[in-house]
Amino acid sequence: MAEEVKRFDLSLHLKREPVTLAVLTGLAVILFLAVTGLSHTYDAQRASLASEWSTRGTEDLKAQSFGLAVTDFRTALLYSRDNYSFQLSLAEALIGVNHTDEAYAYLINLWDREPENGQVNLELARIAAGNGQTERALRYYHDAIYATWPGDQEMERRNTRLELIDLLLRIDARTQAESELIALAANVSGDPSQQAHLGELFLRAQDYDRALDAFRLSLKSDRQNQAAMAGAGLAAFELGKYSVAQRYLRQAVSVAPGDTESAARLKTTELVLQMDPLRQQISAAERSRIAVAAFAVAGARLKTCGIPGGPAPPANSEQGLAQQWATLKPQISERALRRSPDLVNTTMDMVFNIERQTSGRCGAPTEADNALLLIAKLHEGN
Amino acid sequence: MDTLSNPNTAMPGEVGGDGVSAPILDHTPDSLLSYVFREDRFFLILSVFIGIFSGLAVVCFRFAIDWCRIYLLGSGAQLSPWRLILMPTLAGLVIAVLVIHVFPLARGSGVNQTKAALYIYNGYIPLRTAVGKFITSALAIGAGFSLGPEDPSLQIGACLASALGRRMHLSRDRMRLIAPVGAAAGLAAAFNAPISAVLFVIEEVIGRWTAGILGSVVLSAVSSVVVMRWFLGSESLFRIPAVELQRPSELIAYSILGIVGGLASVALASGIGVLRPMCKKLRPSTQYYQPAVAGLLIGCIAALGAPQVMGAGYVYMDEAMHGQFTWQFLVILAVLKIVATLLSFVSGTPGGMFAPTLFIGAMFGAAVGEAGHALLPHLAWSPGTYALVGMGVLFAGFLRAPMTSVFMVLEVSGNYSIIVPVIVANTFAYVIARTLQPTPIFDVLTRQDGLELPSMEEQREENILRVEDAMRPLTDPVLEMEELSGWASQHVDGSKEDILLVRLQPSGWAGVSKEELEATIKEGKTGRTLESALAKLQIPYLHPDHPLEMALRYLNRWPLLPVVSRADFSKLEGVITERDVLERYRDFGGE
Repeated sequence: MAEEVKRFDLSLHLKREPVTLAVLTGLAVILFLAVTGLSHTYDAQRASLASEWSTRGTEDLKAQSFGLAVTDFRTALLYSRDNYSFQLSLAEALIGVNHTDEAYAYLINLWDREPENGQVNLELARIAAGNGQTERALRYYHDAIYATWPGDQEMERRNTRLELIDLLLRIDARTQAESELIALAANVSGDPSQQAHLGELFLRAQDYDRALDAFRLSLKSDRQNQAAMAGAGLAAFELGKYSVAQRYLRQAVSVAPGDTESAARLKTTELVLQMDPLRQQISAAERSRIAVAAFAVAGARLKTCGIPGGPAPPANSEQGLAQQWATLKPQISERALRRSPDLVNTTMDMVFNIERQTSGRCGAPTEADNALLLIAKLHEGN
Repeated sequence: MDTLSNPNTAMPGEVGGDGVSAPILDHTPDSLLSYVFREDRFFLILSVFIGIFSGLAVVCFRFAIDWCRIYLLGSGAQLSPWRLILMPTLAGLVIAVLVIHVFPLARGSGVNQTKAALYIYNGYIPLRTAVGKFITSALAIGAGFSLGPEDPSLQIGACLASALGRRMHLSRDRMRLIAPVGAAAGLAAAFNAPISAVLFVIEEVIGRWTAGILGSVVLSAVSSVVVMRWFLGSESLFRIPAVELQRPSELIAYSILGIVGGLASVALASGIGVLRPMCKKLRPSTQYYQPAVAGLLIGCIAALGAPQVMGAGYVYMDEAMHGQFTWQFLVILAVLKIVATLLSFVSGTPGGMFAPTLFIGAMFGAAVGEAGHALLPHLAWSPGTYALVGMGVLFAGFLRAPMTSVFMVLEVSGNYSIIVPVIVANTFAYVIARTLQPTPIFDVLTRQDGLELPSMEEQREENILRVEDAMRPLTDPVLEMEELSGWASQHVDGSKEDILLVRLQPSGWAGVSKEELEATIKEGKTGRTLESALAKLQIPYLHPDHPLEMALRYLNRWPLLPVVSRADFSKLEGVITERDVLERYRDFGGE
């Protein structure tokens, strides 16, 4: 009897448990489906709210209302916490209100998710540059340049490289800046404003040859680009190509008479051209006249320096120069110089020496002195 | 032979024994099914279903909280002041009516109710409690009461598990354990942290580690987290900043954080300990508007410029971690959150204390980090790390779950490099909280409710009597199994004990009584060895470190038991009798 009961219990047990398991599985599936339906409603509502708030945020960001944009994107992120673009926009807004630490926290999380994102790398580079972390900034800028960008990828990369060059020039890393500029020049289109900008950067990097080329290219497409004219004038001036500089600077001043910097530079350029006796294609008489005038300017410079009296001064002191000048003065006349071209050279060596020695010690030079200094620089080593 | 020392293992010679291996050898389909569906194995399968159902319930609970917040307070991050004041007040009135008339068991956090189910009600929690907890907590948290969803989720999980267990007609032992299994599932899904949930349930609800329950708790926690992540994604509750210990000297700052956290824990726990009975003593009619008054005051705090104190506050914890607030504002927020949490909890509004605890900890932590940065700006400080450690600090100090507090921070941050600051700060907080507030908050609450549940903290620190405390040296000689019965019987007259111990070869012990020896001699077996003369000699033995209660399980069958060394089972350390045990217990009671 007991055996029968036991067998009955066992069969009941064996029937009950698999059925229970099947019922539980069925129930789990039904509930899963029900929650999935609920989840879709929930997700749809959240997506709609997220979209609504992010649209507001984008508008506020465009209007540079960064505070409002922060609130909007924070709200949007309440409903779409993991949204990449919302987080990026919030980071931009946070940078706008100077909450760079928090922006950095968002950006670094985004960077972890997509290390090849150009915008994220660029923002991180900007924050690092702002915090004076140059090495980190350079790394992020380079990552941004070679990263992927939405839309016009080339333009974004070019702009990023421009920012990088700007940073390099600010920290006086001219060699690195020049390398980046050369790479940039290869990718810059014929767009005159871009070429002009490139020229300006080459100017800042003191690569005047390439600057002049860039400005010339810019002026080829836009002959009335005053900034390019002024830039070309400056580049030519720095290269000692004063005739070229004169041409560009004249054009620049005629287009924009208010450009006082170019006007002053033009004046100096013209003085250089007028006061250089060693330039070619002038007559001997003209050369002598200019040399005599230069000698007089140098003498006047020495006088304004106020030479103190006393024992025999060293040769390169103002006093020594004054004695040399006084010794040479009786030989200097237009006729004597016309007869002896070597004397022109001697005279001009004396003039250049006086101008160089006095430039650092005797106060601000006159325009004529300045022109003579530039001429000295131009003929250095000849 | 070591199996002899295991009380759950059958003695040699007994019929049936444990019987574990018998069904495996029988490959008939019925036997296989009965093997699979043995209750302990079926309990594991059931744990997975408990996890799934709890996970689904917690997902719905999260939806409900969010919907309540959107429809009651609005969808924006900046809320209208009137709405901030009005909605919590109205929600408080509705909650009071629901709790008084419809769901009276839905009050409180839910942890103690789950413990009560385990220790008092044999695992029984009415399903109605889960429904009530779901509705009232979602309404309260959504309306801005300073409460969290974790403890209610824990209770919802426990309720579902209990209901399922009843349907399955589980045995009483299993029914008792099923509530903690559901609790772990609920907590794991709410917190998205299965390890912390398992540890918390073991540390605070069950109070002991046993292999039988651990498997079920882990299975349910993992399955619930999988379900939760299926619907809500796997992101952590916070964006975790780069966390690190910048320099060893920073441990001083973490110690300060531990002290601050410990004091804050005491303030919060003392507040609840004092204010809750006061509110309960007020006229019964006040129960109708206590939550509304709490809601009104919290709304006022929010409208006056600190809306961060409303709800669970995970968003603001995240912001504090990322240096959004100044240290002064962080301190203000922490203090206001303590006030708001006290108001919410003592008014009887259903909801959890985990999230507010984490919030207060995060704010104090970030405040210490920011203050350090303000005082010593030349040193690199990471407020995020301090905020994260601060969460663990409050968890250790207020909830008194030291192990969970450490693992929670590690699990949430996913970074083991901050384990040293976490341990240092938590230790300070725990010691301070224990010194100033000896009774843990969960025990305070149970005693206020007129229950006497076992205190897990007291259990952890309880002095356990062991066999070595009661055993004594054997004065009688030990017989060897090769000895002749006749020779052995010569010892009987001089022995003090009724039983003589026999050392077996190669190992093991046996006991032979005077009567048995005398009978052997009467039967004329004097020339035979003890081994052949006495059929069933073998007795269990104990080790000195065994709990004393284990000895009691055997002493009703064997009046004298040998206590042997764990290194050499044939080496006798002493003996123990029922009288020795009882005398030790009597002395222990006197101590």
